[in-house]
Amino acid sequence: MHILLIALCLCYALGLVLPFCVPRKPQTQGIVGSVCACAASLIGITLGLSGLLASEPMTAIVASPIPLLAFAVRLDPLASFFVLTISLAGLAASIYAMGYLKEFHGRVSVAALAALTNGFLLSMTLVVIADNGFFFLIAWELMSLASYFLVVTEHEKADVRYAGFFYLVMTHVGTAFVIFTYLILFQSAGSFSFDAFRHPGQSLPEGMRTLVFLAALIGFGTKAGIVPLHVWLPYAHPAAPSHISALMSGVMIKTAIYALIRVYFDFLGGQFPWWWGFLVLLVGTLSAILGVMYALMEHDLKRLLAFHSVENIGIILLGIGAGMIFQTYGLKEFAALGLLAGLYHTINHAMFKALLFLGAGSLVYATHTRNMEEYGGLLRRMPWTGLFFLIGAVSISALPPTNGFVSEWLVFQTLFLSFQFPDLFLKLMLPIAAAILALTGVLALACFAKAFGISFLALPRSAHARHAEEVPVAMRIGMGILALLCVGLGLAPMIVVPLLDRITGPLTGVSISDKVLALDGWALAPVNMEFSSVSPPMLAAMLILGGLLGLALAFLFGGHLVKRYYKTWGCGINLSPRMEYTATGFVQPIKRVFSTIYQPTIKLETEFLQESRYFAKQRKFEFHIEPVFEKYLYDPVVHIFMRIADRLRILQAGSLHLYLAYIFVTLVVLLLFAV
Amino acid sequence: MSPIIQSLLLVTAQVIVLLTVSPFLVGLIRKVKARFQCRQGASVFQPYADLAKLFRKQPVISTTTSWIFTATPYILFASTLSAGLLVPTFTTQTPLNFAGNIIALVYLLALGTFFLILAGLDAGSAFGGMGSSREAIIASLTEPAMILSIFAIALTAGSTNLSTIVHKTALLEGIATDPSPHLMALAALFIVALAETGRVPVDNPATHLELTMIHEAMVLEYSGRYLALIEWAAGLKLAVFLSLIANVFAPWGIATTLAPTTMGIGLVVYVVKIAGLAVLIGVIECMFAKLRLFRVTDLLGVAFILALLGLLFFYILRS
Amino acid sequence: MQISPHTGSQLVDLCSALLLLTCFAIVAQRRLSACVDLFALQSAFLVLTAALVAFLTGNPHIYIAAGLTGLIKVIIIPRVLKKVIERLNVKRELVMNINVPAGLLICGALVMLAFFITQPIIPLGFLLTRDSLAIALAIVLIGFFTMIARQKAVTQLVGFLVMENGLFLGATAATYGMPLIVELGVFFDVLIAALIAGIYTNRLQDAFDSVDTTHLTVLKE
Repeated sequence: MHILLIALCLCYALGLVLPFCVPRKPQTQGIVGSVCACAASLIGITLGLSGLLASEPMTAIVASPIPLLAFAVRLDPLASFFVLTISLAGLAASIYAMGYLKEFHGRVSVAALAALTNGFLLSMTLVVIADNGFFFLIAWELMSLASYFLVVTEHEKADVRYAGFFYLVMTHVGTAFVIFTYLILFQSAGSFSFDAFRHPGQSLPEGMRTLVFLAALIGFGTKAGIVPLHVWLPYAHPAAPSHISALMSGVMIKTAIYALIRVYFDFLGGQFPWWWGFLVLLVGTLSAILGVMYALMEHDLKRLLAFHSVENIGIILLGIGAGMIFQTYGLKEFAALGLLAGLYHTINHAMFKALLFLGAGSLVYATHTRNMEEYGGLLRRMPWTGLFFLIGAVSISALPPTNGFVSEWLVFQTLFLSFQFPDLFLKLMLPIAAAILALTGVLALACFAKAFGISFLALPRSAHARHAEEVPVAMRIGMGILALLCVGLGLAPMIVVPLLDRITGPLTGVSISDKVLALDGWALAPVNMEFSSVSPPMLAAMLILGGLLGLALAFLFGGHLVKRYYKTWGCGINLSPRMEYTATGFVQPIKRVFSTIYQPTIKLETEFLQESRYFAKQRKFEFHIEPVFEKYLYDPVVHIFMRIADRLRILQAGSLHLYLAYIFVTLVVLLLFAV
Repeated sequence: MSPIIQSLLLVTAQVIVLLTVSPFLVGLIRKVKARFQCRQGASVFQPYADLAKLFRKQPVISTTTSWIFTATPYILFASTLSAGLLVPTFTTQTPLNFAGNIIALVYLLALGTFFLILAGLDAGSAFGGMGSSREAIIASLTEPAMILSIFAIALTAGSTNLSTIVHKTALLEGIATDPSPHLMALAALFIVALAETGRVPVDNPATHLELTMIHEAMVLEYSGRYLALIEWAAGLKLAVFLSLIANVFAPWGIATTLAPTTMGIGLVVYVVKIAGLAVLIGVIECMFAKLRLFRVTDLLGVAFILALLGLLFFYILRS
Repeated sequence: MQISPHTGSQLVDLCSALLLLTCFAIVAQRRLSACVDLFALQSAFLVLTAALVAFLTGNPHIYIAAGLTGLIKVIIIPRVLKKVIERLNVKRELVMNINVPAGLLICGALVMLAFFITQPIIPLGFLLTRDSLAIALAIVLIGFFTMIARQKAVTQLVGFLVMENGLFLGATAATYGMPLIVELGVFFDVLIAALIAGIYTNRLQDAFDSVDTTHLTVLKE
């Protein structure tokens, strides 16, 4: 395994350097960088799988001259799982990039783009395998910087620059909290190594533990995108090139989940008061419902997907939070179930979110616009992209027989097991969280019915859509890999659950693989078969057989099929794209019903014909939803900081003499102190 | 008889029962409505004739549509039938009980709804889009209520698998005998059933006016065998919900063993029960007017609160 | 006819649950005449509950209270209110201070609150009507909420009357009824209050040509 790790780093390093060695040929630069990333990802997949199956975690250390810093890596099952996820997404994204980078020829430096992608993937892998706090922070910072530079690839656009800047500020605010967390742990452990964090010299007092919990939640939560720290996500993820958005949304925010699990279950030893788990649950529920609600109102396809990432992080935290509450009450099996559900959803979301972003990237590549209202009818012109996007949409809506269904099912089961609690408050709150999760799931279904339906079905709404062409083979293969994985992970929980059990086992203390799988692995039955069970392969078989039965009945009763084709009836007028439903119109009932949350403002301007006020020449309709978090949370905070900065500006008077005076005074004071 | 053959026979029997009984339910509701309106009304078996006619007719397909349009009827039929196989009908010994619980049931039905919404958008007409958009909001509001209400019942029976719930309730094992949670959950589930199957006061299944149709708007462009499959699937959905309500809240008479006599009695009792519920729905459709779309959300909010109260009563009144 | 205490307490629980259901129905209603009808239905359920308690505990004076409730709240007051509605020609609440779904959610939260508050008291109460006390508190809170959330004077009066229903249920549950004198006093107070409210609604209509109580804010100038 050491060899694999070295090979991995070597491939990424090559990917960092080689693209620059081929000047003036952006085509080759792109391919070279992508091939290196591909190879590295393949090695990463092998590494991840072997780490999951290994009996002993692999460790390696390279000492460094800097005190407290040691380049220590450790591949325990948790880290290996995340390496696997990162590599799978990385593989699909880099194959996709071989075709996608054509978009950027001549506009930006493709070599830099390819190199930075390799650097990004490498830094993410280092984050999850780091075994030393200092090393972790270095890798974390590299990840943030690499992603920042990738986000501002198209820096000639003002909104891209703004998005990048916002992202940079937010990620560093988060990093500050992360550093704070590690400093507290360092203080009682005496060293930055994770081993020391796990077994500190003297155990932390209760107040310090709470501080660690909160600081970690805020710090890693900023990167993960929990509400209310999510505001940077809808700016940054759409601004980046699509395969990078796929990686950011699919795996970068998951590294925060990795870190949270590491801190809570590993460092803090899985001992927490119940309100910690409840707070995580609450944050998860809020993120889930608000994420999907804001996603519904978006008609920029990539912003919609970004909000859905917020929603799915919420679902992952729901599972983890419930698991934490179970852990508090000593119900370790259910704690393991919650954690397992959260981890299963992590990999599922990585797969289908990356797939959806790659699909969105293909749409933008073909039509050169991100606005959904200008798409339409693309299923006929881009059949493969449409099929893969459909699979992604079905997965994210948690419909059987895909992977989203299995992980949401497990989260529901964890929440339903709340009747085990002795506390009435928790017994009531968790089913309410389950009801909110159900609402989230079905709103996500509505959102993706809109996204797929408006983009791919009916007639093209603009010239862009009318001239769209299917994307190159490389892009299709990238999407295809992820689509296959989505369906595969859904049909084969009997393979995934034992692997995940190897992670949750050490973290909670019990192994639940045999308690979750039943019927030789063909069914999932947490607790026991009587309480609840589901069999995704059986459901898939039932669906296929049902469809065949329908076909058989149709032929039995109807005989041979002869179809006739004709235009859709448009009330006597020729059907035009203007008659179709728009994305804004589709969500109008939802906007009205939930108007308390959206606080929409609507403006309608009409221009009438000169001759008569009864005939309108032009109508302009504008509606905005209230950006609650930006207006009430971020703007005031920024305002306060600007005021403080204004006050401090007095120090910068611009006068040379004043600056010299500052230096002189400081020197005198230091000399006095030295004495 | 080997258990596999036995299971296969039971599954086939359940499929046949569901497929045969669903058009009958639709016909029965129409007959009740006709009688209330002082008309003779069509025969109760008219829907069978309608289906046979539709299957034989040549379908006309819009040139605007894609493969989603022609695939949806089969997907809808398959998902609704699969959902039906998870629900106990005339016996609690459903072999496919292990394949799914409440959540699986809800999401299987959601699969059908998803593709139906897409099909509504596919033809490119405003009617279809409108139906899809309205269906989206109504589906969003029914799911939480449905999950909470069945969960409240699941708690009393100690299981979330539907056949197990019914089996235990029928044998009076381990249930809290307090009727209040059941009452609330029944009220909530009944409102949800009305909403999901597109009955007055949520949606009028007999109208084609753009102001009033939801389900009909989505399937407006379908014809021939496609329309036949969709109508059959709608009838199946009605049968699934009625079976659920009848068997979960009034399971007496259902066959709990595999003896042929109990199964026979169970079949008769089952048909009588869901026919009775269908008559009740027909009466309700005549008593109430269809609600405005944004008043439907009020009604579904009531359903959600009722389900929540059912859960609350279960925990509070038991202690 | 002998009913076991366990079945008896279940029946009382069932009636109390039906009472709570009608409360929610009143909150979800827009038509004024439907509100009054639901109030009459609620009072009928209340009579049933009181009669049941009287039968099961053998306290005859609860019968009298139940009879009085039936007379006043099921027959007299709804008639008076219906007359007021007819005369004023007001049919429905057009604008709600708090819309129906939000109102329902708040009422659900109020029910949970009532249950949590009465949790410590419940074991101390009589076996028969233990849970009815929690439901009674919930009904009082929901009645109060209805008064805040609705604009028309008639609906506010219905909310007040619902509160009184809740108090009666609570008294029956906690102490098997109040002394007869107290109950008679309360009933007559309620009757007079309803008549006064009818008169004041008429005056409102004459003064402002509407029964919107928000118009009363004009008086302050």
